[in-house]
Amino acid sequence: MRKKLREVKTTVSEMFELPKDIMLNLPRISMIGNNQMLVENHRGVIEYTPQRIRLNSTIGVIRVEGQDMDLKNIAVDDVMITGLIKHVEF
Amino acid sequence: MLILKLWNYVVGYLIIRVDGLSLEKFINLTISNGIFLWGIKRSGYTTMTACISISGFKKLKGIARKVRCRVRIVDKRGLPFLLVRLRHRKMLLVGLTAFLIILYGLSSFIWTVDVEGNVKVPEDKLLNALAKYGIKPGAFKKGLDISAIENRLIIDVPDIWWASIQLKGTKAIVKVVEAAQPPPMVDKDTPCNIVASKDGIIHEMVVLEGQPVVKQGDTVKKGQLLVSGVVEDSETLTTRFVHAMAQVTARTWYEGQAVYSLDKGLTQRTGRKVVHRFLDMGQWVVEYQKGDIPFKQYEVEERKVPFFGEGRFFPITMIVREYYEVEKLPISASLQQLKEIAQKEAMEDVNKKIPPDAKIVDKRVKYDMIEDKEVKVTVYVEVLEDIAQEQKIIVE
Repeated sequence: MRKKLREVKTTVSEMFELPKDIMLNLPRISMIGNNQMLVENHRGVIEYTPQRIRLNSTIGVIRVEGQDMDLKNIAVDDVMITGLIKHVEF
Repeated sequence: MLILKLWNYVVGYLIIRVDGLSLEKFINLTISNGIFLWGIKRSGYTTMTACISISGFKKLKGIARKVRCRVRIVDKRGLPFLLVRLRHRKMLLVGLTAFLIILYGLSSFIWTVDVEGNVKVPEDKLLNALAKYGIKPGAFKKGLDISAIENRLIIDVPDIWWASIQLKGTKAIVKVVEAAQPPPMVDKDTPCNIVASKDGIIHEMVVLEGQPVVKQGDTVKKGQLLVSGVVEDSETLTTRFVHAMAQVTARTWYEGQAVYSLDKGLTQRTGRKVVHRFLDMGQWVVEYQKGDIPFKQYEVEERKVPFFGEGRFFPITMIVREYYEVEKLPISASLQQLKEIAQKEAMEDVNKKIPPDAKIVDKRVKYDMIEDKEVKVTVYVEVLEDIAQEQKIIVE
């Protein structure tokens, strides 16, 4: 039932060209070069060290690896990561 | 982002250090409680630093206990903390407010009055008229009815047609436009002749009315008839009396003289000097730098220097008196310089005699030595000027 609802939402958002991050509650990730990354619509921090950051989201864990990474801003639904980013994994 | 930083600075924020094993939990819990964190840096396995607002920090206690973290304040930043620190330095605050009050107070006065646009009307007259209505150095700016003063100024000084007063900071800029005087009426009913006012050779004649008697190139003497007001018609043999009008430009000569005695000699400054300084405060003159003058011969130069730069109103001026040591130059060396100085003086002498509207055509300089004791310089200047002068005809 839940899966069906999701499918309907996907088709509707594609039909009306609505942004999927809002319709499907997906994380929206925007990066500037390799030293700034903004993750909107996250579900909390699982792990934070300067070398590795793991963020929870609706599609699973987002793993960011790099060097000297800081959490520049953190609020209820967005995180700004600065530092040298090397990998982003889902 | 600058605005956010500025806002954080104004509101004030804390830099905290969090020690504990479950730092991620701490972060999640704080943000889910609506507390904003920024600048998070993990410095070790169990420690991290972060920035937090003052109100956020107050709510942090329960969270820290829940996740078993220790929170310590590393630094307090922003305006509120600065003000707390200032509270202990009361005199600084007193000085600051006193400074602001004085600055505001002094800027609400007029300190300088500038008059622009006057050529014939003396500045003193305008300044006096303005001072009467309250525009003068030291006057309070508020309560001045500028447009009324402008009108009064025009009424008081009939030689100006328009005036505008602008207050710019502590400066009052007064712009005036002078009245153009109409040319004097020519009384055409009284017949008159044109005679020469000076000796000279006629260079150009423009006759507007009357019968010319002399022509271009003629040498005329002072008082000689140039244009006659008595016009005789050759056809009807009648005589008319007219008001002769003409412009008669003639070459005239002026000479200026200057005599300099050679034994007076010329002096030269040796370069050594002694400076005396006085402070002039209106009624009191205070000397604050004075010493003996060790020179046999010296020249004195006095200057007045406004204490705070030129053009600013401040009732203190500094008088600087400089004593220069001088020595005599040998005659041979000074002769040339003497000649130059004498010539300059002769030129000044002759310039006083030349009327302002005359045009200088030629200049000659003559040097005379009188018994090897004096040098006499004569300057001859040839000018073009109008020599026409009216003279009434008495008709019998």
